[in-house]
Amino acid sequence: MLPSDLLLVYKRKGAILPRYAKPSISNDEAANFLITAYQEHIGEKKKALKALVAELEDKGYEYRFVRALSLLLDRKSTFVCHSRADPIDLRRKIFQVTERFGVPTTSEKRQKIIESVASKMSLSIEDVEAYFYSDLDSELVLEKFSAPLASELLGEYNLSLTQTMLFDATELNFTTSGNWQNIFHAIKKFGLIYEVYKDNGLWVKIDGPASLFKLTRRYGVGIAKLLPVIVANSEWIVKAKVLWRFTNEICDFKIESQKHSTLLKKPCLTTITYDSSIEESFACQFQALTSGWLLKREPEPVSAGKQVIIPDFSLEKAGIKIYLEIVGFWTEEYLLRKIEKIKQVDVKLLLLVNEVLACEKLSALERRPQLDLIYYHDKIPFAPILRYLETEFEQVKSKEVQILRGLPIKFTEPVVAFNEFAARIGVSEEAARNFLTANIPSDYIVLADVLVSTEKLMQIGRRIKEAIDAAGKLLLKEAARIIEEEGVEDSANILAKLGYKIKWRGINSEQAEISRAV
Amino acid sequence: MLRLWFDKGTLLLRGQVGTPYGKWDPRVGCYRIKAYHYRDVLEYLAESKLQVEDDVPDLSPLEQLRSNVALRDYQIEALNNWCRSRSRGVLVLPTAAGKTFIALKAIQQLKVQTLIVVPTLDLIDQWRKRIKDCLNLETGAVGGGESTLRMVTVTTYDSAFIHAEQLGNRFMLLVFDEVHHLASPGYMQIAEMYIAPYRMGLTATYERADQRHTLLSQLVGDPVYSVGVEELAGEHLAPYTYEKISVRLTPQEQQIYESQMGIFRSFLQQRRISLRNPADFQKFIMTTGRDPKAREALLARNKAVKVAVNSEAKLTALAEQLEIYRKEKILIFTLHNDLVYRISLRFLVPAITYQTSREERREILANFGNGKYPVVVTSQVLDEGVDVPDASVGLILGGTGSNREYVQRLGRLLRKKEDKLARLIEIISKETMEVSTSRRRHQKIGDAS
Repeated sequence: MLPSDLLLVYKRKGAILPRYAKPSISNDEAANFLITAYQEHIGEKKKALKALVAELEDKGYEYRFVRALSLLLDRKSTFVCHSRADPIDLRRKIFQVTERFGVPTTSEKRQKIIESVASKMSLSIEDVEAYFYSDLDSELVLEKFSAPLASELLGEYNLSLTQTMLFDATELNFTTSGNWQNIFHAIKKFGLIYEVYKDNGLWVKIDGPASLFKLTRRYGVGIAKLLPVIVANSEWIVKAKVLWRFTNEICDFKIESQKHSTLLKKPCLTTITYDSSIEESFACQFQALTSGWLLKREPEPVSAGKQVIIPDFSLEKAGIKIYLEIVGFWTEEYLLRKIEKIKQVDVKLLLLVNEVLACEKLSALERRPQLDLIYYHDKIPFAPILRYLETEFEQVKSKEVQILRGLPIKFTEPVVAFNEFAARIGVSEEAARNFLTANIPSDYIVLADVLVSTEKLMQIGRRIKEAIDAAGKLLLKEAARIIEEEGVEDSANILAKLGYKIKWRGINSEQAEISRAV
Repeated sequence: MLRLWFDKGTLLLRGQVGTPYGKWDPRVGCYRIKAYHYRDVLEYLAESKLQVEDDVPDLSPLEQLRSNVALRDYQIEALNNWCRSRSRGVLVLPTAAGKTFIALKAIQQLKVQTLIVVPTLDLIDQWRKRIKDCLNLETGAVGGGESTLRMVTVTTYDSAFIHAEQLGNRFMLLVFDEVHHLASPGYMQIAEMYIAPYRMGLTATYERADQRHTLLSQLVGDPVYSVGVEELAGEHLAPYTYEKISVRLTPQEQQIYESQMGIFRSFLQQRRISLRNPADFQKFIMTTGRDPKAREALLARNKAVKVAVNSEAKLTALAEQLEIYRKEKILIFTLHNDLVYRISLRFLVPAITYQTSREERREILANFGNGKYPVVVTSQVLDEGVDVPDASVGLILGGTGSNREYVQRLGRLLRKKEDKLARLIEIISKETMEVSTSRRRHQKIGDAS
């Protein structure tokens, strides 16, 4: 992050974008000039270095760009005070002598004071003059410098520039491909408030408590700090409202990984502490069980109203999904709140609770059988987990069957896709498929993933026959187009049902024809 | 029952009751209310005969205090006015008129958890010492690496702002020293995010050039008492004199000055820009961000100013003044840090700038206070607040045109002590823009309070 007076942006028609330093000959040149300057000034004073930096400004480079790069390089440098005497102590001694002799208003009197201090501290007169203010920032000496590549420096600059602009953000919206635990952990840490919504994927809107009253920059710093955690992912879109300080107008900001990820430095994230090895080992051991359940770490968050639950794992089998979370330190209140939150959503979440990490005695909780909790001591017990999963699985399945049985299944549409039907009545696709193949409604036939009405099938048959009759033959791709026009994707199965077979001519499917099976 | 609690600088109210102060927050399913409406909400609910479980305040224990504060008549009047306006409002008194004592008396009378907000770390030390001496009370402090909460706690504007989410519900009285700072866009959130129903603002310079001081009525309260330097000089404040010494730039300096100012002026002429007031100048500064020519002109002007303000001739004049007042305690003020260090090196006197570490600063101020160091040179960092009772001579070698700065620098010298006569002496460069800058800062000295 940079001081705001070094911020450079483009602003046009209500849109704002940092003036990113794209990889170019002149930008690389500036970066390399500075990196070399720092390398060559090891052992020199900071003011000599900064004079060289100022030279670059005079060469026609934007001064804010140059100063920002220099500032980023300062942060990779160690400056130290080179002095054989502690400057504060030296000054104290000089001022004490001044106190005795009176403030020197002539150079002779001044010389006398310096001499007296020099002899007292066994330093030369030159030393005393040189060390007097050797601890001032501009007098410090560059001791160590770890040089980045020019491209790294520019990437870091671009990320810092974006963060600096976000100081003035009133809200941020983003969607991204993972890293959710880190992100929500950071949101909480920076005192921000989030809301989630669906808009072609899961989006998160960020602002803060007082944003309710008026647009405020107060949470800009928190928002800026959040940015690296988001752009550390491979895919993201970030939008923000920026309150431009000079005109007091709201501007729109948007960057996305497709266009901008190469410009910004990818921050390496320190893995957070609670993302612990216990989860790692659980995942390994569970996968070794070959239980038939597909385990996924850090699944996409489950939205519970405008809040989210971020479970550690999802377990999936035959379209049934159960979430699982390993709880670290906890209190009864914490668990109850968590359970309360889970109740708002229609998902199954199993909590694995380590009794050793309890912050208070277990009491009422233990005797509530309806809770999806498994306690353990030191090792996560797999047998009860699998028992739970199977019980849930059977329960969900039988519940689904019950739901399906209770339904008066009567379709009017000519094509019924299993997944759409399952989503509509809230059962797994597997259950819907099993049920529908076992109870095929009259006037329908079953294909791999859909039901098709016999009327529709006949309609398709009529059109294909007409086409063959007209041309004497029909290419497979023509037949497929007709079937698709009728709203069915599974052309191979339809043709088989209609009694056609495919005549291949070589390996080129363009030339394949269909003919009536004998 | 309704429940009201504190959430990160705001209040949340649970229950099916709206108030004129709250706004429904769909994100959490409660009414959210600005923290500074705390008293209003409680009063509103009480008038509506609604019971509320008030979990808002989180207060440190009250401590026993013993006061030996005796107020002067104008201080009593100021405090009475403040009490009468429901313990809210701004008191406008010149520096050295004992604003601190009025605040201490208010703490003693109200006996509530109090946060004192000050502009600098030096002022934290100064207030803590004063509270120890006058109320016999240990204080907490937030800022400068310390973080302890006590019944009376002192902090800086920066810390009060940054930690508003954590501190907002821990005090019932807020005292803002140099309250004009509070009106800035960032700091005003301090007033909004703290629940304290009682609020006192103290300043010698109420009005701000940007007119934002009008916001203070809502944040702290109206000005309830005002008295100027002239009304108190002599009886309660040290009498003072003002003198201006004009020096001529050296020929070499004069040449640089003319050529650099020439670049600046011809740019203005070419672009037909006239700079008549601070707003014009602000606009010009903004164009330098995108127009390299304008930036060149600005840099030329800055260079000219630097030459005029930091002229060698001034140092010669300074040497004479140091000789004349060698028995007095002297503060030297400059515009730029470079000059501070040049003077410090030339005359071997201690310097205080923003770069000076806190320990060294403390040591220098202590030694200046007890008379070991007769002279201290500083840029703008000591303008506000720091108390040096018997400093009697102020030498101004440069400054901005701001009247506030002038009043504040004068204030450093006005603490009354026996038959002290305070002298403010300004050394300016002839035939430069310094003449008009100097004139500008005196324009309103008549009503400078």
